[in-house]
Amino acid sequence: MSLGFLIAISLGLGIAAWLGFLWSVRSGQYDDPEGPKYRMLEDEDEKSRKGRDPNRMDDPGEGR
Amino acid sequence: MSLGCDHCLLDFPEREAVRETVDGIDRVFCCTGCQGNHRLIRDEGLGAFYDGRRWEERGLAARPESPQEVEPFRAAVRPVPGGLSEVDLYVEGIRCASCVWLNERLLSRTPGVAFARVNYATHRARIRWDPARAGLETVLGRIRSAGYLPKPYGETEGQAAQRRETRDLLVRLGTAAFLSSQLMVVTIALYAGYFQGIDAETRRLLEWVGLGLTLPVYFYSGAPFLRNTVTSLRRGRFNMDALIALGAGASLAYSAWQMIQGGEVYFDTAAMIVTLVLVGRYVESAAKGRASEAVARLAALQPREARRIEAGPGGGVEVRRVPVAELRPGDRVDVVPGERLPADGVVREGASEVDESLVTGESHPVAKQPGSPAIGGTVNLHGSFILELTRTGSDTVLAGIIRAVEEAQASRPRIQAVADRVVGVFVPSILLLAIASTAWHLAGGAPAARSIMIGVSVLVIACPCALGLATPLAVLLATGVATARGLLLKGGDVFERAAGADEALLDKTGTVTRGRPELREVVVVESGLETGDALRLAAAVERRSEHSLGRALVEAARQLADGPELEVVGFAAVPGRGVEARVDGAAVQIGTRALLAEAGAAVSPAADARARAFEERGDTVAFLARDGRVLAMLVVADAVRPEAREAVDELSRLGLRVGLLSGDNRRTTEAVAAQLGISDAVAEVSPAEKRERVAALQALGRQVLVAGDGVNDAPALTQADVGVAMSRGTDVTMESAEAVLVRDDLRLVPELVRLSRRTYRIIRENLFWALFYNVVAVPLAMAGVLHPIVAAGAMAASSTFVVANSLRIRRAVPVRHSR
Repeated sequence: MSLGFLIAISLGLGIAAWLGFLWSVRSGQYDDPEGPKYRMLEDEDEKSRKGRDPNRMDDPGEGR
Repeated sequence: MSLGCDHCLLDFPEREAVRETVDGIDRVFCCTGCQGNHRLIRDEGLGAFYDGRRWEERGLAARPESPQEVEPFRAAVRPVPGGLSEVDLYVEGIRCASCVWLNERLLSRTPGVAFARVNYATHRARIRWDPARAGLETVLGRIRSAGYLPKPYGETEGQAAQRRETRDLLVRLGTAAFLSSQLMVVTIALYAGYFQGIDAETRRLLEWVGLGLTLPVYFYSGAPFLRNTVTSLRRGRFNMDALIALGAGASLAYSAWQMIQGGEVYFDTAAMIVTLVLVGRYVESAAKGRASEAVARLAALQPREARRIEAGPGGGVEVRRVPVAELRPGDRVDVVPGERLPADGVVREGASEVDESLVTGESHPVAKQPGSPAIGGTVNLHGSFILELTRTGSDTVLAGIIRAVEEAQASRPRIQAVADRVVGVFVPSILLLAIASTAWHLAGGAPAARSIMIGVSVLVIACPCALGLATPLAVLLATGVATARGLLLKGGDVFERAAGADEALLDKTGTVTRGRPELREVVVVESGLETGDALRLAAAVERRSEHSLGRALVEAARQLADGPELEVVGFAAVPGRGVEARVDGAAVQIGTRALLAEAGAAVSPAADARARAFEERGDTVAFLARDGRVLAMLVVADAVRPEAREAVDELSRLGLRVGLLSGDNRRTTEAVAAQLGISDAVAEVSPAEKRERVAALQALGRQVLVAGDGVNDAPALTQADVGVAMSRGTDVTMESAEAVLVRDDLRLVPELVRLSRRTYRIIRENLFWALFYNVVAVPLAMAGVLHPIVAAGAMAASSTFVVANSLRIRRAVPVRHSR
């Protein structure tokens, strides 16, 4: 019964997307619709690009 | 020569420059404070801030005058998992994306801060830190160090409810969208089966899946409509929600019945109606939330605290910050320059000038000395004083005005949205048609079940899903256009109200005028003297003065080319009269006739006559004398905005009758009205009288638009069909108005009317076409020959039309006078 199988797959994929959507609403991703368009253009600054603790004082990335 | 500061971008005289060479580039700053900020930002490696920022406004982002108070933030701090603390606050002074970036970077580099995120749209920051490694003080101090000002953020009950509603609608919409997309696959298979043939078993399976997908859409996603339908039917009213619940419910029931009968199903109709209407509702709710957030942000910038002078330990006095609500009559509070008076009282010590324009409409600053009564909510301009409170809380003048606002709110005629008006007629007529066709078929001898189904199919076909989109979509697009122009709108019904406005009442002080004194004219009395030299001399003396008149002169002198350096010594202010000083050895006075008489300078009768002519118009005239000779007259007035005339003309062209309302004196008001070509000017009106005037016009059937900025305008703004508040207005004013001019340009008022008319027309077109496509198909349904393709086509055509038509709002309004 291939049709039933296809419907099941389709529903399964849909439910996965729906759960993803619920998660994104809960985690507040729809709260700031303005931000992402700016954030994607930001360059990571040197300190965090090196994957270091940004608070470490001996960071060689200091003083650019 | 003047230079621009590399940090705050303001111009300043070269001799005040602070210079520093950084990485081989010379930098100039207007003060060491700006230099410090620049150094801090550079040292953090965040110099990209200066490359990326887009400031439309120059000057420091925020003016942190008072020391940072930590207490107001304490209550908002909450523990979060991982042993961290979290706080939400507003960051005042954010002007562009670069400011957000700078704050986030600075905070996230602070030792102990784990997370910092600033919302671009609302300027609200959420900061998480490790209390063992950093304190709240560190976090707040960090924001201030870059020239921004953290403000406590408290969400009101209404905002929280709005946010919950928006989120709830989003979840319902997302769920409906997911289910509808699944349903679409099933429906397409069924449509294909209709034309190409399909075996009964497959068809049965698809129909069951369709039913399973549609039920949650109707009963879960559509629950808000079902609830509203129940309440509105109880009141005997048909509204939008009733139409949606009825239409979607009818197609659901019809399809379920057809499944048993072996006919065609219309699950997609039921699901799409609910989904599309939810799109509209979500869009509306989100826009409303954003607008109220923006107003709350503007309002949060106003202080709600006072500095109370209390008996300290050991017999001394102590100044303590207390919430305004805690103040009692008899308390003594300290008022510093730029501050709003916390309550009504009497000045006990010190002297100053107070700007009362927001409360009374009086355009001139009012001098305060010990013994002078003062009104809460007015702004202290310079000089500090101690105020002994006489009335607090609900007894103050301000509270009285707020009560009038509440009364106006209660009595304000509520307009029924055009969509609801249409539906109120449409639904009963469709119901009648449905019943009539059932009866007709019954009378014609058709079986009862089939006759009822024909009646239901009339309901199904007539229910337009585009109807739910017709208003919100147009409103959303128009709101977007308005926001881009600098107009903040609260709610969509402002378009309907403003479109019908035929009367515009403008407040004078601060609305059609600038709301602060400006130099209007320099009349030279002494022959051979240049006006520029007279002004330069006056400004050199007044530079030391804190009087608002003096500031107007200094401001005007900035426009002049630099003249010879003048040496000013022995400056003294004579309260209520003017100022005097010695300039390059000569005694100079600027002030009233009395001040000059004391110095032995007589004003000639001819000059005096000219001065009186100015005073007749409500202007203030200051005389300038040097060594006993009157040199010039300096005419200062609250100048009319340069664009005001154009705005008034534009409003008249749009067919509105324009009137001027002012709490200020008759002379000044009439002079301003004459300048603007307004014939109908009313002066010396109290806040309550302003409201009464609006109500009287409304009683004559006129739709009134009121624009104002002060607390004294708030009752009128609320009473009006459309209230427009200026952005420099108080929080009360902005809350009582439907529209706030974020950009300080009066021409936005006619712009609002024009945009509203256009939007309203498009909404009506949308409603017409949304219904039209479906209504055309109704005769087919009544005849009992409803073809599924007709149903689907009507639905698609009306939705497409509504979307396409709404998009015209964005294109067709020409962008005017953009800065």
